[in-house]
Amino acid sequence: MPALLQYAKRGVDALRRDRSTETVRGASPGTHLQLWVLVLAVVFPVAVAVIVSTKETGVVTSLGDLLPGSYAVENYREALVDYRFGRFMWNSLAMSLVIVVGKLVVSVFAAMAVVYYRIPYKDLVFLFILFTLLLPVPVRFVPLFQLMNDLGWSNTILAITVPYVASATTVFILRQHFLSIPASIVETAKLDGVGPLRFMLFVLLPMSKGVLVGVSIIMFVYAWNQYLWPLIIIDSEANQVAQVGLQLLQGDVQGGQLSWSLVMAGSTLTLLPPLLLMIVFRKPLLKTFNIQQK
Amino acid sequence: MSTREIFDSRIESGLLLLPTLVVSVVFLYYPTAMAVRTSFFDSSFGQADEFVGLENYAALVTDSAYHSSVLLSVLFAAVVVAGVMAVSLYLTFLIHEVDTGQGVYLISVIWPYALPPAVGALVFLFIAHPTLGVLTGPIEALGVDVDWFNDGPQAFVVVALAAIWKQIGYNVIFMIAAMNNVPDTLTETARLDGVSGLRRLVSVYVPIMTPTLFFLVVINTIYAFFSTFAFVDLLTSGGPSNATNILIFDLYQEGFSFFNFGVASAKSVVLFLVVGALMLVQFRVTDEYSYYGA
Repeated sequence: MPALLQYAKRGVDALRRDRSTETVRGASPGTHLQLWVLVLAVVFPVAVAVIVSTKETGVVTSLGDLLPGSYAVENYREALVDYRFGRFMWNSLAMSLVIVVGKLVVSVFAAMAVVYYRIPYKDLVFLFILFTLLLPVPVRFVPLFQLMNDLGWSNTILAITVPYVASATTVFILRQHFLSIPASIVETAKLDGVGPLRFMLFVLLPMSKGVLVGVSIIMFVYAWNQYLWPLIIIDSEANQVAQVGLQLLQGDVQGGQLSWSLVMAGSTLTLLPPLLLMIVFRKPLLKTFNIQQK
Repeated sequence: MSTREIFDSRIESGLLLLPTLVVSVVFLYYPTAMAVRTSFFDSSFGQADEFVGLENYAALVTDSAYHSSVLLSVLFAAVVVAGVMAVSLYLTFLIHEVDTGQGVYLISVIWPYALPPAVGALVFLFIAHPTLGVLTGPIEALGVDVDWFNDGPQAFVVVALAAIWKQIGYNVIFMIAAMNNVPDTLTETARLDGVSGLRRLVSVYVPIMTPTLFFLVVINTIYAFFSTFAFVDLLTSGGPSNATNILIFDLYQEGFSFFNFGVASAKSVVLFLVVGALMLVQFRVTDEYSYYGA
């Protein structure tokens, strides 16, 4: 009996050794299998949403019901037109584009001043900008709501864009990138007598394309996914954004007037813009994240 | 660095900084100051503010429901941070190990970075719905009675799972960059020494990745405290019986369901202190490990 155990143990050891020599050469099939399972888990909820958005009703009570239906066109049309999701998407797009362009211009200006200008108390100015990291929307939405009422901006696109335009993160990332542009190039530009506007347009921006794309994607995803602030400050359906529009659709489901397949169509629509941008521009995006962390 | 300061017009630098500074003052600093001021007043709709000193804070100190919300938020953050980081670290490790299909695996697990929380919440509501959910059948087959509309702990788990799922993408983005920075020679040495699989992750990679992991702990904690609002709002509305009433949702209700702006402002100030403390920790930690990054 002990001999048999010995034999079995040797067998197991041999198997172990096989596996470890395999990892020296490359990943074992087990690694791929585990990845497949985990990827499936991460993708599954959204895959269900997309499938359900093509079905007649949203009733999917068993895994066997997860076959695509033939109501895709019908459902998306109904969501976009009858439930005004087209309008919500448009509002979200307008909000996100205004925030992205506004933030980009304003932050390039600020970062250029911080890096290329001789300013008294420069560190203090930069600190003043960085300190706003401590003041995210959740900390100040109550007084911001009152401020918007006083300004008469409630329920307008101004309310959901202007407060986002100052961005410590973007200024910081751009500053880091500007500091990585060789000083010799900057000095050459100076010797050539290049003015600030031409320096920005013909030296700085062309050398920053990747980072500008990267921060734009980060800003777009951030802006598009805003939920709490529009929920509070926008109170008419005509001006509402897609994130909160989803909540309105869901309310209709609870009320029994609407099928889940429409909510999933709305969800899929709301997911698409940030997802596509991220996939298309993943390379500059990942590079920009690398800068942020340093 | 001083060689980069090629311009010295005070007016130009002032104009470049102006937009960022004005927006910061008007929409970030001023509302925060207002929150501090209002926290000393009895303030709600349609009545004049009345100065009450520290009464709002005193109310928070004695309010047992608020204490539960604080504890709940800490527990929720702990679960979400631990969950996100464990899953993401393991996923990153698997992706790091394989030598084919890395790009495809990477994009199929980092995409939730772009996922709008509102979409994530609705999709989870649908797949885990107590009566309609696709997953409800299989989970009940395991002997669990899915009843999270009425069962507090179950609701907590559902919200936490949804929040973890959404944050995996962001974490893998940073972890893969950190893991790719581990010198190949170190990996080879570990492999030749027979340190395989998980042991290599825990005793070789994790120590080298500490700066990134600390950074992510802080970012994930802030995420769990503040950016999970949409999950709570759409999945549970803080219920059942406050089982998912984390601070940010509690603050929203105080302000916009009960319109107690005084108490809500005191709660905002508390949240500000939370963000401040977390940022301070991050600065300290980044300082301590800064020579690693270079």
